[in-house]
Amino acid sequence: MSDHHNETFLSKYIFSLDHKMIAKQFLITGMFMGVVGMLMSILFRLQLSNPGESFAVLEWFLGEKWAPGGVLDPNMYLALVTMHGTILIFWVLTAGLTGTFANFLIPLQIGARDMASGFINMLSYWFFFAATVVLLTSLFVETGPAAAGWTIYPPLSALPQAIPGSGLGQDLWLIAMTLFIVSSLLGGLNYIVTILNLRTKGMSMTRLPLVMWALFIVAILGVLSFPVLLSASLLLVFDRTFGTSFYLSDIVIAGEALHHTGGSPILFEHLFWFLGHPEVYIILLPALGIVSEVISVNSRKPIFGYKAMVISLMAIAFLSFIVWGHHMFITGMDPFLGSVFTFTTLLIAIPSAVKVFNYLATLWRGSIRFTPAMLFAIGFVSTFITGGLTGIVLGDSALDINVHDTYFVVGHFHIVMGLSAIYGMFAGVYHWFPKMYGKMMNKKLGYIHFWVTFISAYGVFFPMHFLGLAGLPRRYYSNTAFPMFEGLTNINEIITFFAIVGGIVQVLFIFNFFYSIFYGTKASKNPWGSTTLEWTTPIERIHGNWPGEIPTVKRWAYDYSKPGYDIDFVPQTESLKEGEEEH
Amino acid sequence: MTNVFIVVISFLLVVTLVQLVRVGQLLGDIRKKDFNIVTESDNKRQSFLMLIVGLTFLTSCVWQYFAWNPLLLPSASSEHGVIIDELMRFTMILIISVFFLLHLFLFYFLHKYKKSSDKHKAYYYTHNNKLEFIWTIVPAIILTGVILYGLNVWDRITNADTSEASVIEVYGKQFGWSARYPGEDQKLGSYDYKLVGGANALGIDIDDENSLDDKVTRELHLVEGKPVLLKLRSQDIIHSAFMPHFRVQMNCVPGMTTQFTFTPTKTTKEMKMLEGDDFEYVLLCNKICGVAHYNMQMKVVVETQEEYDAWLLKQNTLSEKLLTQK
Amino acid sequence: MDLNLKNTTYKQLLWIGMASITLFFAGLTSAVIVRSSESGWQDISMPKYFWYSTLVIILGSIFLIISKKTVKSGKNPADYIFLSFVCGVTFAIFQFKGWSSLVEQGKFFVGEGSSPASSFLYVITFAHLIHVIGGLISIFVTYTKSVNLKYSKENYLGIELTSIYWHFLDILWIYLFAFLLYII
Ligand code: HEM
Ligand SMILES: [Cu+2]
Ligand SMILES: [Cu+2]
Repeated sequence: MSDHHNETFLSKYIFSLDHKMIAKQFLITGMFMGVVGMLMSILFRLQLSNPGESFAVLEWFLGEKWAPGGVLDPNMYLALVTMHGTILIFWVLTAGLTGTFANFLIPLQIGARDMASGFINMLSYWFFFAATVVLLTSLFVETGPAAAGWTIYPPLSALPQAIPGSGLGQDLWLIAMTLFIVSSLLGGLNYIVTILNLRTKGMSMTRLPLVMWALFIVAILGVLSFPVLLSASLLLVFDRTFGTSFYLSDIVIAGEALHHTGGSPILFEHLFWFLGHPEVYIILLPALGIVSEVISVNSRKPIFGYKAMVISLMAIAFLSFIVWGHHMFITGMDPFLGSVFTFTTLLIAIPSAVKVFNYLATLWRGSIRFTPAMLFAIGFVSTFITGGLTGIVLGDSALDINVHDTYFVVGHFHIVMGLSAIYGMFAGVYHWFPKMYGKMMNKKLGYIHFWVTFISAYGVFFPMHFLGLAGLPRRYYSNTAFPMFEGLTNINEIITFFAIVGGIVQVLFIFNFFYSIFYGTKASKNPWGSTTLEWTTPIERIHGNWPGEIPTVKRWAYDYSKPGYDIDFVPQTESLKEGEEEH
Repeated sequence: MTNVFIVVISFLLVVTLVQLVRVGQLLGDIRKKDFNIVTESDNKRQSFLMLIVGLTFLTSCVWQYFAWNPLLLPSASSEHGVIIDELMRFTMILIISVFFLLHLFLFYFLHKYKKSSDKHKAYYYTHNNKLEFIWTIVPAIILTGVILYGLNVWDRITNADTSEASVIEVYGKQFGWSARYPGEDQKLGSYDYKLVGGANALGIDIDDENSLDDKVTRELHLVEGKPVLLKLRSQDIIHSAFMPHFRVQMNCVPGMTTQFTFTPTKTTKEMKMLEGDDFEYVLLCNKICGVAHYNMQMKVVVETQEEYDAWLLKQNTLSEKLLTQK
Repeated sequence: MDLNLKNTTYKQLLWIGMASITLFFAGLTSAVIVRSSESGWQDISMPKYFWYSTLVIILGSIFLIISKKTVKSGKNPADYIFLSFVCGVTFAIFQFKGWSSLVEQGKFFVGEGSSPASSFLYVITFAHLIHVIGGLISIFVTYTKSVNLKYSKENYLGIELTSIYWHFLDILWIYLFAFLLYII
């Protein structure tokens, strides 16, 4: 199957059908967008800690129009927040994370030569690429990019009179999002079908590594929830451009009474969050999967309670479809509905708690090896605990009344979703880099990267809870308009300090990544001593993954330190001994 | 000049990094083993760091709590706010204990079970149904308690008795608030958004006789100990009326009316004594609504019945306002 | 990939794709339900053309079933596929007719004379038609392939996929139509 001799540059690097190359395309695009999104957050953090002060960087990046005299324009502030959220949620942690690891790992770990359809896979990337181009274009339009928040609630997102970003910028946002949705649907279809059909002999569903389960469930979530966002956006597009009244009603703006009657903005919120909440888990589950893998390999211990881990993944995925109302407790919804959503939301804490306990049990009496990937996996467990617990406050409708849309929420979701998923992504990159590029990433730089990131990330997001409990709303350009928030500047300065430190240290990661691709030390075939199939492939990249036959699977993926063996891991391809129990 | 400087410095930093990494790799080559493979001494160092940083993190959380507690909202100034605060205290104690407990376990395990020598072996332990059952059922029981308690509070807030409450309308638009009091007849006049304009900023139907004595104000005055029913409307886009001191928040949605009932319990004067002279209650906007979202506010005053009556008397009725306009 | 695996894989791709499309329409129709429970909702009577189009799309399905039978028995199904294509085109024409009779009734998509109900009606039928156009393209491709004798007794995956998708459109339309009849 090694037919890569007659590849051209174009077919190898650009329009590649090979899943490993497509994964790298997703990863590098995702990393690029990550840098863009991170930079945006640092720009608007400068304004938050030093309201109204002049910064040369702001003018340098944003120009005279959006940062006159180096002071951030309030419209641009909202635009930056919106683009930051959109980019990180969808571009980095949905496409960048799932796109990379689903494409890279699925065929390798289940023992397949490639995805079910390489062509659909390639399309998926190029739709994503087109979406990226459109989204970035919107940064350069005259009225600025979309500025109604990543949740694009109408009427704000529908009326350019309400905020300039809702003009062309919002159009481009919607186009980009449509392309993005097409991309993730194509990807998702492929992942599901591949896992269902192309497993090698012996690889039953119950022998799948957990990261496969996670990616499988994520694909299902995506395929079922993204179309609903598409229908919500479709109706929004009609309202914006053709003057229908799905979401708009009884509006007087800029001195003019609009003709729209009979629409309901709340309808949009329902449709949006029907996607929006599963989306949160679309971000989180792959990280949960990756971390399960990394923790087990580096504790040299089987993951504790494999079955419970799979069931809790399923439970989380299922529940995520019936909790969307917790974003809408104070929209005037029927109080009974509010109770139902409180109930379902707090239920999610149970499978989440099971996951945490099982991680801890996996570490217990392990033989823990602190690779950079392992450190990030540990960071994940910590942020998942911290962020999950504050979710209990937000999911309780009575408590949500006073913290809804405050910085408490910003702290909560950054920790549980942003940091956890980013840590999962870093863990995955450090762990599978040797498989991706045949080189090792530098360990020391990895350590420094982890520690500075871990400390500064908590330094950024933990104090935000206090801002929220002091009543500070999110999406505020500055907190100077209210005497009651005056004391908070001090906290804001701390946050910005850590944000800058945390931002800068990512340069180290990017450096490490690219440096190691070219000059890293050569990796051995199975540097972490891992049992799963991907480590049985040769180091060189070949089409079809295995030069000869695809190996057959004889056991589950977690035989680490199994009694009766000399080495501390037994690859999945090894037959069970006489009388040996599987697990 | 500074730009050149920055470029030069960044360049030098990159060069230094490259050199450092190179040196590490060369040393590895000399010792004939891959410098990037994790060794026992790495494990010792990293797990020790984990313990130190982890404990520092936990300590810093305690520090943050004590340092910033005074900045948080004062205890609630409304009847239902008090029960929200109680629920909050209960939930916080619960989650903070779990937070510390789990993190201590995490850091302890990481330190204790590091691979410290070649002989150190992990214990092959795949599952334990009994244990897993316990740690499914225990959170389930605790959460049932949290849910029941929470729903009870929610129910008391949303099903509050409105029969005694005085009705006040709160109206949001880009970027300000106004309040409308029903006047003598205790009835708010009807409205239509097509009537908005000029002096009639709220689109009130002047042909409705209930409207004539309505009073539109730029401040929200409330009576201590008397329940109010806020009716919320919006002129243009979604706003959210947020009064953090009262634990009150409700969206204002164009095309519909939402409501919230509560009873203020502390006058502004009392709060000034507790919190300092510059204390004021506010109503602020908490739903992204455009360029001046961060400054969309209205002063809220809680006072005694007499003060309130005196204040209300001074406000012009709608008919007076519109007549003087004409 | 061997033929069997290819068959199941492509069919699954299609099935999951259809699940996705179903959720898209579920989104739209649940929006209608939410909206119609609020005040100011006015019902619209369906134009008779939508009844005709229902018949025609079912007829298209029947022709596709026959063509699958035909190819299985080793004969060339091109004629039947062509007939189903004709049905599909007629369906599209009837949809346009239906819209123009709505316009005659004074029920517009936007502007004066439109209501949320009528706007939803147009959006839903329009979104369905977009999917039908996809179906027509695939019927057309199957047709040219069968004219060029690309199918055989053993290998008729294209016809199968096309007819599964068309049956789906068919059932989807019946659901939507019933929904529109009762809710709008
Ligand atoms: C250096 C790291 C980061 C910093 C300093 C940062 C900072 C912030 C701040 C301060 C806000 C709130 C602004 C406001 O509401 O006024 C915000 C919003 C947001 N951030 Fe981040 N963030 C970072 C990383 C991330 C990551 C990793 C994610 C991925 C989930 C993320 C997702 C979001 C989202 C979804 C919003 C909401 C946007 C909106 O309101 O429309 N951020 N960020
Ligand atoms: Cu949610
Ligand atoms: Cu506002």
